Amino acid sequence: MASVDLKILAVGAMTIALYTTVANIIPQLESDLPPEVDLAAGMTPEQLVEIGGQLFAGAGGCVVCHAETPGARAPNLSADYQGEGPIGVRCHARIEGMACKDFLYQSLVQPTQHMVEGYPPIMPPADRTLTQPQIWAIVAYLESLGGEVTVTAADIPAAPADGAPEPAAAAATGAGLEAMGPAEIVQVECVQCHLYEGEGVELGPALDGIGARRSADELRRAILDPPSVVTEGYEELVGLMPVDFGRRMSAEQLESVVQYLSDLR
Amino acid sequence: MNARAARLRWARRWALAPGLLLLGLTLLAAPLLGQVYQPPAYGSDFPLIGSRNAIWIVAQVHLMFAAFVLGVPMFAVVTEAIGIWGKDDRYDRLSKEFTRLLLVAYSATALLGGLFLFLLVTLYPGLFAYLSEIFHISMWVYAGLFFFESATLYMYYYGWDRWKEGWAKLGHLGLGVLLNVWGTAVLFIANAWLTFMMSPPADVAPDTSPAMVQFWSAFANATWMPINIHRLIANAVFGGSIVAAYAGYRFLKSRTPEERAHYDWMGYVGNFIAIAVFLTLPFAGYWLGREIYEYNQQMGVTMMGGFMSWLWIVQAFLIGVLFLAANYYLWLGLGRIPGGERFVPYTKWMLAVLVIGFMVWATPHSMIADRDEVAAMGGTHHPFLGVLGLMSAKNTAVNLMILTTFLSFLMYRRANKIPTVSWAKTGTLAQGTILAVCTAVVIFYGIYGYFVPTLVRIGFSVYQVLAVLFTIVAVIGLDLLVMRKAESRGPIRWGEMPERSQYALFVLVITFTWLMGLMGFARSGIRQHWHVYEVMRDTTAHAATPALGYAAQVISACVVIFLLMIAFVFWIGGMIATPTLVAHEEPVVVPVRGTDPGPDAAPGLGLDPQPLPAE
Ligand code: HEC
Ligand code: HEM
Repeated sequence: MASVDLKILAVGAMTIALYTTVANIIPQLESDLPPEVDLAAGMTPEQLVEIGGQLFAGAGGCVVCHAETPGARAPNLSADYQGEGPIGVRCHARIEGMACKDFLYQSLVQPTQHMVEGYPPIMPPADRTLTQPQIWAIVAYLESLGGEVTVTAADIPAAPADGAPEPAAAAATGAGLEAMGPAEIVQVECVQCHLYEGEGVELGPALDGIGARRSADELRRAILDPPSVVTEGYEELVGLMPVDFGRRMSAEQLESVVQYLSDLR
Repeated sequence: MNARAARLRWARRWALAPGLLLLGLTLLAAPLLGQVYQPPAYGSDFPLIGSRNAIWIVAQVHLMFAAFVLGVPMFAVVTEAIGIWGKDDRYDRLSKEFTRLLLVAYSATALLGGLFLFLLVTLYPGLFAYLSEIFHISMWVYAGLFFFESATLYMYYYGWDRWKEGWAKLGHLGLGVLLNVWGTAVLFIANAWLTFMMSPPADVAPDTSPAMVQFWSAFANATWMPINIHRLIANAVFGGSIVAAYAGYRFLKSRTPEERAHYDWMGYVGNFIAIAVFLTLPFAGYWLGREIYEYNQQMGVTMMGGFMSWLWIVQAFLIGVLFLAANYYLWLGLGRIPGGERFVPYTKWMLAVLVIGFMVWATPHSMIADRDEVAAMGGTHHPFLGVLGLMSAKNTAVNLMILTTFLSFLMYRRANKIPTVSWAKTGTLAQGTILAVCTAVVIFYGIYGYFVPTLVRIGFSVYQVLAVLFTIVAVIGLDLLVMRKAESRGPIRWGEMPERSQYALFVLVITFTWLMGLMGFARSGIRQHWHVYEVMRDTTAHAATPALGYAAQVISACVVIFLLMIAFVFWIGGMIATPTLVAHEEPVVVPVRGTDPGPDAAPGLGLDPQPLPAE
């Protein structure tokens, strides 16, 4: 009789283990939180584009409709659409006399104002889920798809005074690097994981001579979006580098650090 | 200006006065109110597992118990009614045996509900305050209903032997119906709160004060009715499958052939109800899905094509297991029906259909969400799987699986009967033709779907579903006619069931419980980082919705907790009174109702009680 109980237990445990395993071997996708756009840091267009791209592909929920696949629910934005070019190009011609960024902003918050022919009015207004700075970041990203980014920090209205603070996002961000110059940043912050002039920790690639190996563009990306630039031999360590440096530095700081590193030849 | 209008103006002016007074007082008091204690949005994080997991587990296990105490009364009433009109005492005792378990399960549900409430209030005070501002009245009603529900339950159970003849028996059945009415009302109220969190009315914005939210529009929100119906159906299935597993356990532990026969039969009945009702669940699911799309396209696509798309693959896997286990159980059961062996050769073909259907249904579709997933799949369109994964193929597969399961029941029903009506051959032929045409229709639209635009294709699934529903109704109707006055090849030999069949019942109940946990995660995860979708944000450290693998571990924990508690309930239930089989003294042999199962017998498929084996 006890063996019956054991058998039942075994069948139960196996069934539950099977389902747990199946759910663990499929791709693991989290729904991430929309990254905050911190205006206080005075973001560069590149930073806006970077964050806008993250929002577009992730928490903004755009790609579920604006997919790359043929037959998607919404027009392709990153590639040509009906000979009008990618969105960063065709935005200029959409509404007579309207600047690209204004058109894009409008098509995000009032999607039905201007309809692309042949598509149903299913796009939700972006301001239901995203803050104004986040929306402008997406606009910057869309402009960057084939066009020139004209969004600046000045476009973005300051957050309303009573806006609820977002502790989660705030907590994830370290202190700002306000008063630091580029050399100081490299010698204080970066050496915690990189070797530089014999100082520091040998975790990431050494920074000596980095300017000879990486273009300014790559360096900027490596700081803003570390996983996008991986040095050979360090694939295992991707994800170790903090992703919030971009947010903790002001625009000038970022540029000066990039410049500083470029000069290390 | 007429007098009426003048009076109205007066009235308005005076109505304004108290309002102004109140406003003035409020303004005066404002500096003082500023000092008043403001409750925080969140309590301190729950130790070890964190607030989110704590509330998740307690809510889910509570929900499982709730499904049980709502599902079992449905089961009990149906079996009691079959007992009354089928004049078969066995159904009546079965019904009573389960109501006894309800008594204990009920307090477990209430305990978990209390725990859930306390956790909500202490961990998420801000959210709770918000919801209670909108829903307070319905919350009182909800609590009030429990008084009626428990009173009814007590009368239903303790009055069983008292009101067992004539009109009193019908009155007793009425109590059972009433019990279901209370239960359904409770379910609908709680559903209003959780569906509001998922689909608040469009005019509710983040800065809308909850005091200004219209009660009824919040209560009867976009997904309320679909979830009501979906859960109601799911609960009935759940009730049936728990009954079946309980019987399976008892069967394995039986010492005498009578016991084995009784519990074999009980397992069959529970399983029959579970599977028959289960077949309607996908339709209710599609309705729910459609309403979600209609409420908010983005929510819909996040659910089906976004970060949750893989969840449906897991769901399909579970449902595939359900189909397989249910059919396996039925096929093994053919062995105990005289004449059943005629059908055994067909089962391997049916198995093939099920397995292929299963594979198609569980094939991921290229509903790619983001680059991570593209990377994980190695390209947007899988060259081969991509095509199978299109909706057309899936709908076709699931409809064929439903038809196959239906066919299993049909075989079961006919196995031991020899039709006597003169047109039996024609009738059977007609049945076969309907089935064949239906299969052809389903497959035709499935293939044709590849050659038409998406919108047209979606319409096709409706034709497929209608064809299947029509077939089920028509074939059953014909069968009732063909089998009127049928001769019997001999009674079903209840109890002569291989032991492994009973394990299929366990797999069924565990799968079903797990499925509930998974769908609970779907319902709640679809809100992503919102407590109330697009209205109130989750600003805790647990705001991001976890991936499925992690969720699966929590779900498994819930399932294990639930099963342990249910086992305890059954154990206690066993102590309250000895099982019904031992309790009654009449001879075990139930009257054989001749060769005619007749219209008064259980109208189901092969549910007609059969005599126990003569010892
Ligand atoms: C539910 C599906 C859906 C979602 C989600 C969605 N869109 Fe759209 N979007 C559409 C459709 C359909 C159109 C074309 C019809 C129209 O103009 O509204 C469109 C049009 C656009 C256009 C104008 C394209 C043109 O060629 O003029 C832009 C820009 C755009 N979307 C950006 C976004 C961004 C950014 C997001 C994420 C914040 C987003 N969309 C989310 C469905 C969606
Ligand atoms: C495409 C079809 C379906 C969709 C979109 C769907 C969606 C959902 C959603 C969102 C919930 C809410 C979960 C909750 O409130 O706890 C739910 C509940 C549930 N669904 Fe489905 N479902 C579908 C089909 C099915 C099918 C075919 C089954 C078959 C077994 C099923 C079984 C359940 C169960 C058991 C529950 C839990 C009921 C409860 O909460 O008491 N669903 N479903």
